[in-house]
This record gives sequence, C-alpha cells and structure tokens, in this order.
Amino acid sequence: MPVPWRRPPTSRGRQRRWPLLLALILLLLVVRLSKGALLNDAYALLSRPFWPGPAQSDWLRSARRAEDQARLQVLTSDNDRLRQLLGLQRANADLAVSAPVISRQSGGWWQQLVIGKGALAGVRAGQPVLAPGGLIGLVASVTPATATITLLTDPSSRVGVWVNRTRSQGLLSGVGSARPLLRFLDKDPEARPGDLVVTSPASTLVPPNFPVGVIQSVDANADPAPVAVVQLIAPVQAVDWVQVLRP
Amino acid sequence: MELLTRQPVLAASLLLVPLLGLAAPAWLTLAGVPPCWPVLWLLPWALVDGRRSALLLALVLGLLMDSQTPGLVSWIPGLLLLARWWGPLRGRRPAIERPLSLGLLALGGTALLNLTLMLQWLAWGWRSPLAGADRPAPDPGQLAQPGWTWQDLTTAGMHLLFAQTLLTALLAPLVCSLLLLLWKRADPDWRG
Repeated sequence: MPVPWRRPPTSRGRQRRWPLLLALILLLLVVRLSKGALLNDAYALLSRPFWPGPAQSDWLRSARRAEDQARLQVLTSDNDRLRQLLGLQRANADLAVSAPVISRQSGGWWQQLVIGKGALAGVRAGQPVLAPGGLIGLVASVTPATATITLLTDPSSRVGVWVNRTRSQGLLSGVGSARPLLRFLDKDPEARPGDLVVTSPASTLVPPNFPVGVIQSVDANADPAPVAVVQLIAPVQAVDWVQVLRP
Repeated sequence: MELLTRQPVLAASLLLVPLLGLAAPAWLTLAGVPPCWPVLWLLPWALVDGRRSALLLALVLGLLMDSQTPGLVSWIPGLLLLARWWGPLRGRRPAIERPLSLGLLALGGTALLNLTLMLQWLAWGWRSPLAGADRPAPDPGQLAQPGWTWQDLTTAGMHLLFAQTLLTALLAPLVCSLLLLLWKRADPDWRG
C-alpha cells in the first residue's frame, strides 16, 4: 500500500542519482586498489602537527649508526678470517707501530728510510709501512732499535696493486726515480690519468685497499702490456713519522 | 802504510763515511742525489798513505757501506779499484793536491765507482726482455723480479751517475783539501 506522504521516485530523479553512485563506487575502487593511499595521505596531512618530535628521529639515527658499527665489525672480522684462510695479508690498524724517520736516503742507488723503532718494538722484516697519504714501502731489515724501509721507488720494490676504478691488477715497480711504474697484467686495463691506485686484495705482501698513488700517465702501447707512471700520495721527501703495520 | 801504523786513530775517521750517508743532509744534494762520501774520504787517504793502506781501508770501508744496503751488489770492487788507482799517486802529491786535480780525480773516481755498481746491477739482475712475439701477456713471475733493469739504468741510473759525479767533484777540492790538512797536522812525524 503506497505511503500517502511520500512521493514515488520519478524516473528523472533516478537518472540524476546514477552518476553520483557510479562516481562513489569508482572512488571506493580507487581507494581499495591504492591500498588506502588517499586515506593515508589525508591522514598524514591532518595529523602532521601531532607527529613525534625530532628526538625520536635522532634515536633512530643513532640506532642505525650502532647497527652499522656492529655490522662493520662483523664484516671486518669475517673478512680477516677469510683472508687468513686464503693466506693473504690482513690489516690491523690497532697494532701499528709509530716510528720517527731518522735517516732518509731517497736519491741514491738504494732508496730507503731508517726508522727509530726496531725488533724491540715488534717491527719485523716484510711488514708494510704507511705514511700520511698511504703505503710508502716495506721493512727490509731490522736491528734491535732501528728498521730499514725499502721505499716503493727502489728498483728492488715490487708490490701488487690495482686501479680502484677498473679493478685492473698490476705490479708497482720502483725504477729508481721518484715515480714508480705500474706494470699492468691485463692487455686492456682501461686505466687513465687521475685513477687512484690502491694495494691489491690479492697481494700476499701488503694488506688490501691502502692508497698508494695516482696515475699520472699511461703508455697503452707498451709491450707486452700497458704501463702507467704513478705519483705516490705519501710525500716521501717530507714525511717525519711513519706507521709500521703488524699482522 | 806509515800513517796507518803511526796514527791508526786517524783511520777511524772512515767511520764518519757511513754516518754521513745515513745523515744525508737534504741541502747537500744535486737533483735529489747526495755526494759520494766514500770517494771524498778515500781520495785524500790514498794520497797521504799510499796504495797498500788505501787498499786495506777501501776493503774496510766497502764492508761498512755494504752493511747499510740490502742485496748482493757491493761497493768493494769499485773502492778497491779506486785505491789501486789513487795509491801510486802519492809520489806526485804536490801536483795532485791542487784543487783542480782533486776535483778531476773525484770526478773520474765517482764515475768509475758508479759504473762498477751499474755493472753489478746488470750482472745480478739480468733478465730476458719483457716483450716478445711469443708472449701474448706479461709473465707475472718475470715482472716480479726485483732490481735495476737496463731501461732503469739508462734513465734514472744515468741521471744518478751524472748528478753524483758532478756534486762529488765540486765538493772534492774543499773536503779533500781539508782532510789532507787535518791529517798532516795530526801526525807529528809528517814528512810530506
């Protein structure tokens, strides 16, 4: 029985409501498919004045730093363990011995330094020597109170290095001048002037990834493989203190 | 041998030679190369005390210098040659002791000493050429052999030889004359 006070919907009013209903359904569909993006964004906009302060952000950052430190320690110890298994050199800056340079003979037939720490301080032959800037040589011989360092520029010096950018392996060979020669093992090392040269992870003499020098020029036509002239980063002529790395 | 037997303390001054090599004052270099201190000591000693004494002390000096350097290359052959050359000049000392003569003797002596070192580097470090038609890639074992190569000797080696020879010759009139004077005054029985 029809209600007397309510008018039955006319066909014109029904036609006006259909687009609204369709738009509402489409909106809900978009909200559903976007996983609540609109709702979340709207909520973020409205609730921004009530967000947590910067203190919590700092806590998160410090927690992240602590996590990174812990991960670094784990990776370092893991790296050391693997390098020990492979018989490669390990780097341990904590065990470095600082020593003054007491004699500098970098211009003669033998290019070497004498430092004021020797066997009594734990320095042994073959240990790598660092100066500000990077590797400068290896310990050649020790006395109780001194040690003689063969510089990278000495013709008897041969150290495995690689170009940091291209990972091209080579041997850094002293040639008697202030700039040693990098003899590549690859035919096409893709090295260019300005590339950083660091100690090779494959080296059994020196710890990996210590900076050594910068490529000054490359002779790509050298036979049997290209060679590069390397400018050492550490100023051998001016260095007064060095660090001897102990394994 | 007279000075050596009468005043052996004077011969102890040769201990200063390796010490001066260790001190290596940076201001006393030419193109980064220091003077040849053994030549500056041995020349006046040979002129003062003759061949036998010079030969003996050249051997001692060579052993001292070799103790400062690694490897098999030795100073001894060159120093013995110099002692053999300069010892007989004792008889003609007044003419030889002129500054120009001292400088020329030091010039020739330093060049000879350096050449003996270069010959030893070549003898001990000789290797076949790195390049070759039958080698598609460099041999790492061959590259790893240490020592002066022929190419190094003809570039950095010659630079070193010329710089050291020139500097030693320039210093010889001053240093050698001073040592001759000191040794003459220190020996009361000097008959020079």
